[in-house]
Amino acid sequence: MNKPLLLVVEPDGVLAGSLRAALSGSGYDVVHAYTAQEAVIKADQSIPALVILELQLVGHSGMEFLYEFRSYSDWERVPVIIYSSVPPGEFAGSRETLLEQLGVRAFLYKPNTPLTELVQTVNNLRQMVSRSNESI
Amino acid sequence: MSSYPNSPALSHNLLLSITEQMKLPLVQIARQAELAQMGLGSDFSSIRTLAENGIQLIDGYSLGLQLANMHNYELAPESVSVSSVLYEADQQLRALARLYNVEIELNICGRFEPVLAHKHGLQAAIVGLASALIEALPSQAEGKQTKLQLATHRCRYGIVAGVYADLPNLSSDTLKRGRKLYGNSRQPLVTISHTPGAGIFVADTIFRAMQLKLHISRHHRLYGLGVVLQPSSQLAMI
Repeated sequence: MNKPLLLVVEPDGVLAGSLRAALSGSGYDVVHAYTAQEAVIKADQSIPALVILELQLVGHSGMEFLYEFRSYSDWERVPVIIYSSVPPGEFAGSRETLLEQLGVRAFLYKPNTPLTELVQTVNNLRQMVSRSNESI
Repeated sequence: MSSYPNSPALSHNLLLSITEQMKLPLVQIARQAELAQMGLGSDFSSIRTLAENGIQLIDGYSLGLQLANMHNYELAPESVSVSSVLYEADQQLRALARLYNVEIELNICGRFEPVLAHKHGLQAAIVGLASALIEALPSQAEGKQTKLQLATHRCRYGIVAGVYADLPNLSSDTLKRGRKLYGNSRQPLVTISHTPGAGIFVADTIFRAMQLKLHISRHHRLYGLGVVLQPSSQLAMI
């Protein structure tokens, strides 16, 4: 059986390596993108089951990526977790937009979020999505 | 921001930039340690390299502030070989570059006379610039191995010491905007780096305190950051 594919959009190569190790070790396939443009290309190559997104990227930001990502029908329902160095308080004003319009399912502040918590959040979201697909 | 090296605004902005930047090595170390606890493999040499990168940044910050605020702090320029400064910087940076899959090239061919500079300051500044670019480069290359060149060359105003890479977005405007934004923005150099780029602003402070100016520089079709140094009239030791 194929493992669920996660798209990790993370601009730091060292942190990306840690995320890949933790998520692969928990039974996921991981594809990594450094930038928003690269993330769109990778998502186009194979639709991810879930996206883990840093907002601070080089060039186009994570927010710009989200607007682009949600503009395609294939990716409308893919859950997104924001895992960012930007403290959640700083984008409190955009919270509703992120939740309602852009389908963000969780906000995790990177410095305070251990890998175990990130993996647990991914597992929980995957279960919720499978349950809602079953009920449909 | 004031252009004076000892301005309180500069110290404040530099401190904010450093505190934001320091989160990166600390988070990297925390995650590596966690991987080891999870039994998913982590390597102690990486943790050591990341810690040393953070320490180098703090040392550079401390030196920059001392140079900027203490006019008599061993600022007397000495006769310095740029090649030896770049060689030592290269040795300091190798491990970090390996972690980021960046290849460092040392381009010190050509025989240049010694320059007048504060050796410790010049080396700390070069290491700060290079570390910032090492962290930024993989984002530009989409995972392919990238090169960073530490180089010295002659220009019409003197001898240049600088760090160079394939970074077409690194322009005078980028640096000018970054100087205005650092300390107030999480990404003052948004077109080239996801980090606060504190190493670049620490280097900028050190150079200013040495009465030098950090410039955008081009070398062998690469884009970079460099400083023009004046040749020392003292004879080169062979």
